[in-house]
Amino acid sequence: MRTVIARRAQRAVAGSARLWQASPLTYVVLIFGIALSAFPLYWMFVVATRTNDVVGAVPPPFVAGQHLGENMNRLFDNEQAHFAKALVNSAIASAVVAFSTVFFSSLAGFAFAKLRFRGRNALLLVIVATMMVPVQMGIIPLYMVMVHLHWTGKLQAVIVPFLVTGFGVFMMRQYASQAVPDELIEAARVDGASTFRIFWSVVLPALRPAASVLALFTFMQTWNEFIWPRAVLNPDNPTVQYSLALLNSAYFNDYTLMFAGTVVATVPLFIVFVVFGRQIIGGIMEGAVKA
Amino acid sequence: MALDVRPAPPGARAAPPSRRRRWRSRLSRLDMSLSPYLYISPFYLLFLVFGLFPLGYTFWVSLNHWEIIGGHEFIGLRNYERLLTDDQFWNAVGNTFAIFLIATIPQLVLALLLANALNRKMRAPTLFRMGVLLPLVTSVAAVAIVFTQIFGRDYGMANWFLHFFGVHSVDWQANKWSSWLAIATMVDWRWTGYNALIFLAGMQAIPRSLYEAAAIDGASRMKQFWRITVPLLRPTIVFVTIISTIGGLQLFTEPLLFNNGYMNGGSLRQSQTVAMYMFENAFQRFQYGYGSAVAWMLFLLILVFSLFNFLIIRRLAGGEK
Amino acid sequence: MRVIKHRGQIALAMVLSAALAAATACAGDGDKKGSDGGSGGKITLTVDDFGTFGYQDLYKQYEAQHPNIKISERNVPKLDDYLPRLQQWIAAGAGAGDVVAIEEGIMVKFKSQPDKFVDLKKYGAASLQSGFIPWKWQGGMSPDGSKLIGLGTDVGSMALCYRRDLFKKAGLPSDRDAVTKQWATWDDFINVGKKFSAGIGGGTKFIDSPETYYNTILMQEAGKGTNQTYFDQSNKFVMESNPAVKAAWDETVKMSQAGLANGVQFLSDPWSQALKNNAFATAPCPAWMLGLIKEFGGDGQSGKWDVAGVPGGGGSWGGSWLAVPTQSKHPKEAAELVKFLTSTQGQIGAFKAANNLPSSPQALNDPAVKAFTNPYFNDAPVGKIYGPAAVNLKPVYLGADNQEVRQAVEADIRAIAQGKLSPGSGWGKAVSDAKKASGTG
Repeated sequence: MRTVIARRAQRAVAGSARLWQASPLTYVVLIFGIALSAFPLYWMFVVATRTNDVVGAVPPPFVAGQHLGENMNRLFDNEQAHFAKALVNSAIASAVVAFSTVFFSSLAGFAFAKLRFRGRNALLLVIVATMMVPVQMGIIPLYMVMVHLHWTGKLQAVIVPFLVTGFGVFMMRQYASQAVPDELIEAARVDGASTFRIFWSVVLPALRPAASVLALFTFMQTWNEFIWPRAVLNPDNPTVQYSLALLNSAYFNDYTLMFAGTVVATVPLFIVFVVFGRQIIGGIMEGAVKA
Repeated sequence: MALDVRPAPPGARAAPPSRRRRWRSRLSRLDMSLSPYLYISPFYLLFLVFGLFPLGYTFWVSLNHWEIIGGHEFIGLRNYERLLTDDQFWNAVGNTFAIFLIATIPQLVLALLLANALNRKMRAPTLFRMGVLLPLVTSVAAVAIVFTQIFGRDYGMANWFLHFFGVHSVDWQANKWSSWLAIATMVDWRWTGYNALIFLAGMQAIPRSLYEAAAIDGASRMKQFWRITVPLLRPTIVFVTIISTIGGLQLFTEPLLFNNGYMNGGSLRQSQTVAMYMFENAFQRFQYGYGSAVAWMLFLLILVFSLFNFLIIRRLAGGEK
Repeated sequence: MRVIKHRGQIALAMVLSAALAAATACAGDGDKKGSDGGSGGKITLTVDDFGTFGYQDLYKQYEAQHPNIKISERNVPKLDDYLPRLQQWIAAGAGAGDVVAIEEGIMVKFKSQPDKFVDLKKYGAASLQSGFIPWKWQGGMSPDGSKLIGLGTDVGSMALCYRRDLFKKAGLPSDRDAVTKQWATWDDFINVGKKFSAGIGGGTKFIDSPETYYNTILMQEAGKGTNQTYFDQSNKFVMESNPAVKAAWDETVKMSQAGLANGVQFLSDPWSQALKNNAFATAPCPAWMLGLIKEFGGDGQSGKWDVAGVPGGGGSWGGSWLAVPTQSKHPKEAAELVKFLTSTQGQIGAFKAANNLPSSPQALNDPAVKAFTNPYFNDAPVGKIYGPAAVNLKPVYLGADNQEVRQAVEADIRAIAQGKLSPGSGWGKAVSDAKKASGTG
């Protein structure tokens, strides 16, 4: 009997290790997927190292050229684009919006998921509904609001309206309902903890994977935002995507210059990736936050 | 103050003086009743200032005949009446739904499987996990060029590839079905990794012990996936479905790029989506009022369809709660 | 414990971002926006334009002559991207530059709101009338003729560009005068096209797409008779009754049916690819097109292109005006700048810099313009080819909804070329699409 149990336990341990190991097939599929995802980025990098005549060429170039340094110089020297300032502006805007969104969305998501209050469902539905409104029409009235506040041309205009988003609230709410057990909160209450204390000590750590993803996405989205910054900012104080658009000349796209700019603009994103990527990984090996 | 979760031993606390007890309990009741509203207020405050005015304004505009740089006159619901018999509008609706269905269903399944694959112990985990996000880092202009190269009629890679199967050159932009397929490919390429990562985060909250218990009981990986992962992931699945529905029905950038920046979506509007039609009316035909009406119709469509999807997913994903 | 460490990180991050936000709010004024002057009484004028107007050197010249003025240009390369921004500013009543460029396709629309623009006559522009081709001057006037809203910059008189080397290869004459003689009418043009297709071999087509030719022919036909296209002077929709439109339509359908078209949409990425890969041999060439072909064609095609006269003679496409929105804080200085940029000297400068054909008769007759040859186009004497045509242009009335109707009709022409729409039912569809686009139907 003991041997049967022992053997079963052995198999279970071996099985669970195998359970979590990635199979070779997994690697193949993932590598193929990454190659597909990465190809345009790689091609963009190649173009950034070449001269403009290769852009429409058939077949397209696959190997990097030697012009990267020259294109980078043109990039930073370009008077119309104010690229260096754009990088700083975007860094500030994206960081502020990302942190703010994560904090306030977690707070609101926790409230919607775990606290009882009157009108909870209706208020949540309103938030989800606001995401369904197409944004392009709102540009003119929102611009008018900015004129009224004297914020046109200033960085606040691309930061403040986005400090909390419906997307963030909805996402954290769903995650909180999935990842934070009611018993834990109840126990903390019994112990006399205030609501904020519960949020800070119990809920927030449990939300870490989703919070990391939200932070990453929000940073990326703000960094990539183009239409609104172009509508409300001016060329002498742009964010990064607007600045890249200013690199164009005439009717024709100077792709080598634009892509040199994009390559540079992508570097901060990679840094953010690596930092937050680790946060998401962190959860996996422990399994869930609770035992 | 350390957060001690164990139940307090009996009799350990001395009763505080009654006044302090009443003050404290009142405070804690206030905390419990007011905190929720306090916590959700940042969103609503911002929305009040930056969201409500544009919304209301757009609705007001939709009730007028409004030249974007000119005057306007109130016409009530006439724009909406006109919409109902506008075959260009319904063409756009058809395109939008077709692209949505072709793109989203495979994409969500793929994202789920991808997240499952990423949820394993492996070498260079960050590389793989972040690798799936590369499409979102790639500049929109680069995406446009690459996909134009792929789906070009004369020099495109897709046609070159199809030649090996004896298929005649497809004019991707000129046919409905081919443009739908091509755009669906662009959308899936760009957003699958994004959704996979959301699923991955959701999977972190599922305790390993459940899988291990199932493994001991002899359940295969497939069974574990469908019996454990999917049901417990339901709130996340609901989230991703609704987000994808909203994003899919608002589709604008990918079809615009596919049509080389031309808002009419092809010579016969083969791949014009509702968002593009909205933009065309407001900014190219200068008919701001009618464009706003299109926007509000789109909103209604999204609302109804999201609700529909939500109910379906709730039924499909099963599980408790 | 890891959990506490992470919370510490979050807290730190939050403090940092709050500090950043505060710093942003205070430092947000770092750069002064456009029109308000800094210290020392300097005025900054913002110029909004699109494409290439070629004004860079002129700005420097003006700043040297007026030390208290600084000029800041906000350029948006594509007209399609420029238009929504201009609309946004005019609609919101704020954000526009002191000087804005308005292209002919959208001019009628913006002119119909004369109260949004400054009357340049108030700043002494009335005396400049002789410096502009008459119809160009008229084009800048408000509909009731009381206000001068814009001063003309360039005109887009027509010629036809062709590939000498491909013509030779197909066994056709390639000298520009001979070529011009060959296609006196559009039917002749189609015949040359058929001969070309027969002789060239390979996949090269005669024209890129019929839409651009359609518009050229339409403007020519309208100029010959009715002087209007889709709308008459009272803005009534006359597409069905105007013979000019039907004539242009029929001719273009003939081109498609003769199999002459490659089918790429004008100025799209596939178009520039086709250009580089010798996929088509001709292109309608308003003056500003020369610069485009050079940019997109690259060095490889230098000397291979040439410029001949356009079949049917005459016609125009493009050209702009400069206007001053009433929201400008410095209307007087802005008006002075506009007068300078559109003066004879200003237009000559723009021509030399960007090949934009002047709308001033004096500039057109200036030796610098007349003698100008373009090496990329086999040293074609572009000043001589385009100049006289510009003066002889007859003005054509474009209705306020011209731009959107044009796009609707041209889309149907493309559909026919793609084989997706039959010519028989095409005309009816084009009319109903045009009505829908202009809100008439």
